[in-house]
Amino acid sequence: MKPNQEPENDAALQEVLREWVVDAPLPPRFQELVWQRLTQAETRPPLLTLWRSTLLALQGSLARPKLASAYMAVLLAVGVAAGSWAAQQHNSRLEASLQSRYLQSVDPYQPTAPGR
Amino acid sequence: MKKGLLILVLGLVVATAGFASFYYLGTTSCRGMMQQPKPELAWLKQQFHLSDQEFARVSQLHDAYLPQCAARCQRIQEENAKLRDLFTQATDLTPEIQNLLAERAKMRADCEAEMMKHFLAVSRTMPPEQGRRYLAWVEQQTFLRGHEMENHHLMDAEGHMAGHHHM
Repeated sequence: MKPNQEPENDAALQEVLREWVVDAPLPPRFQELVWQRLTQAETRPPLLTLWRSTLLALQGSLARPKLASAYMAVLLAVGVAAGSWAAQQHNSRLEASLQSRYLQSVDPYQPTAPGR
Repeated sequence: MKKGLLILVLGLVVATAGFASFYYLGTTSCRGMMQQPKPELAWLKQQFHLSDQEFARVSQLHDAYLPQCAARCQRIQEENAKLRDLFTQATDLTPEIQNLLAERAKMRADCEAEMMKHFLAVSRTMPPEQGRRYLAWVEQQTFLRGHEMENHHLMDAEGHMAGHHHM
């Protein structure tokens, strides 16, 4: 094929295209399905489209090894930090509650928790 | 694209696993305390670094103190009920009410004295440094820090003095 040759001027190609007949049968309810997909694409909210395109871009980026390793490291660090923080919060709450329980058991002048 | 999706999901799984394992490991000692028969005493053991022997002695003191404390509270409640009855029927401060007030005050003083005795006994059971720390802590956290009534007048006096400073 010659470079920069426009397909409209290629007589042989034009000839082949004219003779080309598609004889494969269409799937059942083909037209209905096409219209359905068109309608869905039109009615899809912009946020969903944005989410979908972001997800696709992210998936594309994550196929690169360096980015994938960085992503895994960051997520692991975030998970570990969040787990440690949540454990600390849980322990502080529990220790404060046990301290109150001890004080209430030995000192009748302690303010009692509601429901006690 | 499928590889990207797999890494995306795997990252979330790794983050969740990191969170769960550090949360689980971080709360091990607290979960252990909660499984004890008396978690508040287990907390005391951990807080004041008690040995098993010291902890057993503190638990004994605690168990011996609680029924006596409950009995004293019961008697004070009965006195309170009597006082309320007399007060609703009275038109003046009768000698009977005065006697009851004095009796109730004595009961409260006894209750406070027993409480202090208990705190001192517990502190003696602990290693000296921890015993001092325990006494300092109960002094801050219990009736020893002063009642609301005294604090109320203290705040009132401070406000009054602050007013004078402005003059």
